[in-house]
Order: sequence, then C-alpha cells, then structure tokens
Amino acid sequence: MVTPVTSQGTRLSAEEIGYLTAGPGRAAETALARLIDAGLVRVSREGLVSAVHLNNHGAMTELERRTLSYARTGVRFDQVVQSTAYSTEMKRLHQHLLDQKLMQQPRRRHEGWWFPLVIAIVLVLLGFSTPVFFLGVPIALLFFVWQRGRKAVTQAGREALRHVVATDRVHAVALYGFCGKVNGRAVGDLFELSQSIVKMLPLKQNRKRKSSSDGGGGCGSSCSSCGSGCGSSSCSSSSSGSSCSSGGSSCGGGGCGGGGGGD
Amino acid sequence: MAGITDLGVGIGWRSEIDLTVERLPGVDFVEVVAENLHSNVHRGHLPESVTLLLERGIPVLPHAVSLSLGGADPVDLSRVEHLGKIAEAVGAPMVSDHVCFVRAGGLDSGHLMPVPRTKDALDVLVANVKLAQENLPVPLALENVAALLEWPDGELSEGQFLAELVERTDCWLLVDVANLYANARNIGTDPGRFLDEIPLERLAYVHVAGGVDHGDVYHDTHAHAVLPEVLGVLDELCSRVTPPGVLLERDDNYPSDTEIASELAAIRAVVDKHRG
Ligand SMILES: [Fe+2]
Repeated sequence: MVTPVTSQGTRLSAEEIGYLTAGPGRAAETALARLIDAGLVRVSREGLVSAVHLNNHGAMTELERRTLSYARTGVRFDQVVQSTAYSTEMKRLHQHLLDQKLMQQPRRRHEGWWFPLVIAIVLVLLGFSTPVFFLGVPIALLFFVWQRGRKAVTQAGREALRHVVATDRVHAVALYGFCGKVNGRAVGDLFELSQSIVKMLPLKQNRKRKSSSDGGGGCGSSCSSCGSGCGSSSCSSSSSGSSCSSGGSSCGGGGCGGGGGGD
Repeated sequence: MAGITDLGVGIGWRSEIDLTVERLPGVDFVEVVAENLHSNVHRGHLPESVTLLLERGIPVLPHAVSLSLGGADPVDLSRVEHLGKIAEAVGAPMVSDHVCFVRAGGLDSGHLMPVPRTKDALDVLVANVKLAQENLPVPLALENVAALLEWPDGELSEGQFLAELVERTDCWLLVDVANLYANARNIGTDPGRFLDEIPLERLAYVHVAGGVDHGDVYHDTHAHAVLPEVLGVLDELCSRVTPPGVLLERDDNYPSDTEIASELAAIRAVVDKHRG
C-alpha cells in the first residue's frame, strides 16, 4: 500500500491510522490484528485471546506489548480490545498524534450552532440598506465558527488519511474494524474470526473521512488502488449496523471500535 | 476394555486452544475437563469444537478433578452424576479422576492432595471409588498425582497402594508419567519399582505433561515444555507395556501450534519405538 505520509513527512503506522479513523478502540483492534497476523496470539472458537509466547515476545509497539501482557492467559476478545483502548499506552499514542498536529482537542458543537450564521446573513441583508449593520457581521461569524465546534482530527490528519487503503488485513482492521467490510468481504473473515466473536465489540462509527476521489483528481489513474478506501464496496455491512453515505464525497465506512469512545 | 484398546496419541482439549486442537495433525483422541463443561451438555450444549471433533470420530474422554475420592468426606454424588452425564453426551468409553482429595471438612484445597498410603486411607478410598463406580455409566480410571511431600507413616509404596486399589475396586489406571517423574524428583519415588508394582494390564492410558525445575524441586506446571526426562519415564513404561493411549496435558502458557505439534510427535516417537 501507499504508506501515508504526514505533512511533516512522518509515516503513519497502522495503529495511528486506526486511531485517526475511529479512535482508541480501533487502534486497539489494530494492535490485536497485527498480533493475530504474526501468530503471536491465538483466538479460540469462543473468542478467547491468549498470547502464544511468554514475556510479550514479538511485540513491536507499546500497544502490542500491552495487549500481549493482558492476554497472557485466555481473555475475551472484546475485553482485550477494551483494556488496550483505555490503557496509558493508548494515551501516549493519542499524545503523539496531538504532538504531530494530526489531532487536536475537540470542541463540542453547540446546539443551535447555525444561528449566528443566520444572524450574519440577516446583518448582511440589512447592511445593504443601513451599512452600520455590516459591523456586526464579523462578530456573528466569529460566534458561528466558535459554536460550530472543532473535530478531533485536524486537517493535516484528514489529509494524511486520505490516500490510505487497505492492502493488507491489518490495515483493513485499522480502516474498517474487525466487524467492518473491505471489498465486500467481512474483515473478520480475513482473520478467520466468526461474526459471533467480532460482534462482541461495541459498534463504533468511523469518523467522517474525505474519500480519495474528492479533492480534485485525487483518484485519476490510480483509482484501482484507492478504490477500496472509499465508495460503497468498502463500507460496512448493514449486519453490523453501520452505514455508509452514498455520496462519493465522503465515506463513513462503518465498523466497530472496542470502546474508548472519547479521544 | 472394549473400544479403547488403541486410543493413539491425544491432547487435552482446552477452550483456549480449541482451534489448535482441531488443526493439529495426529490428534487421535482428546480429553475434556468435566468440570469445565456445563451440566446441560446432554441437551446439546457441548462446545462447538468438541462436537466437531466427535463428528470426525475422535474419542472424547471426560477427566474430572473434583470427585475427591481420597477424602474422608462422603462422595458428592451430584459431581459423579455430572461426570456421568458428560460421558454419555460425548459417548465416552470411560471417565477418570485422581487418587487424591481436594476437599476436607468442607474446605476446598484447590489442589490435588495426595492420599496417605495407609490401610485405613485405602479403605476410605475404596469405598468412595465403589460408590462412584455404581453411579457412573462407564468404567472409571484413576490417576496417580504429584506430591510435594509425603504423609508420615505410609504403610505401602505408591505402586502397592494403586495395585491394591485396582484389585479391590476393579478400576483402571491412568498413569501420569510427569507426576511419576515429579515424585521421583521430589519425594524419591522409584519409577521402575512403581511400574513393576502396578498392574499394567489395567492401564487405561497415560498422561504426559510439562513442568519446570525450581532449584531442587520439580514443579508439574502443565505450562512448560515436556522435559526429556519425562519422556524417559514414558520410554520406560512403553518398554514394559504398549499403552492403549498417551495424552499430552497442557493447561496454561499455550505455545505455538508448531511447538505443540512437535511435542505430540516426540511422544508418538517414543510409543512407536517400542511397537517396532
Ligand atoms: Fe495428569
């Protein structure tokens, strides 16, 4: 896959992609996915996860180390993800994304956030007859911007995610979650995990993400590689309860995250 | 005993490694810990993996850890009934537990405690075993346990004790060669003498397990690799009798599928060596 590079030239890890896409639960899923992929944990038919080696052998990231030590003996699939999602290691990953300016402290959107915009329009209209009203427009717009809130992922973060596609199963988890779908195939199937296991995870929607087909010719000739990053084929099935916006401009490829809802 | 004369090489089925057990080459039979299965198994509540193994024709033998047959307390017949129900649910040719007690005075020790090897203790054990047998639908095999210390005033060797138990109850023997090795290391049991004294014609099958040395003491952990010395005891046993089955017990720190497969292969190599 094309390794996404941030504006600072840093490469995004699969865990970072997971975090930016759907929060700490998804990053925890991604760490677990890499461990399953490498044969470092086994998952039983009933969803018990256990480390294959002692002493966190084989861990390549802090999240993986954390996951391995928690799953030293059989632990339920969802509990492993939850535990990693709420860990201090996860807080450090979040801090790292903040430091990289890929994320920021979000601000909640106020109820009636659109009202200052209406005021601004009214002031503009009134300004044509009585120009003094124009003076109020910047103030109303300032209110509007403030009340509209701020997303957790920065513009740079969204840009970095834009061209990420799931060309391996670990990245499929980062982008769509274990209970999402990639190219019409359940991501859980890629790991031979039954739906009863992956559905242990609480549902978590992806953050809205700009698709690679918007933003003016992002796709072009390379559409075959970015195709799985957006569009209906990559969106989550209705069975997991998630949805995908049908418009080409954005894809809410649903999935699930193991808790840790906040950023 | 009809139906179990050639069990082959097996492994203890545990829910954490269910898929591994299904995938492993050369698993001829499995054992399930009876207490880990729900008592409504007779209504079709067996784990999916166990059902799948049964469909493949792999024998599933229930193994109990809580009957406490060596204890002075009366046998808890509800536990015996549970074991029997599981035996019927999986169509097992036999069930097993240990020559030990796990409860005394209503308290659960959480360990398989060795029985004092006295005539009096044997009388109690024999009575309990007979009661259990009367309430079980299939034959019962009993396993030697690992002891870290010996009760004082033992009147019989471990082999003599088991031989007399078999003679008086007609039970079968499940010989754990790792427990035998542990006793040789920790309390000076002579494995050769043990094997000479027990009635090998009543051998149901054999357990092999891993453990670890802690200084002078060997711990039968079921969470480490099988020591070559334990395979040595298996070798000694196989030189005297062809065991109907040999089963690897692993209860924690499950290694990779490859490592488990190679332990099974090592066991099979010892068994096959004596088959010629
Ligand atoms: Fe055993």
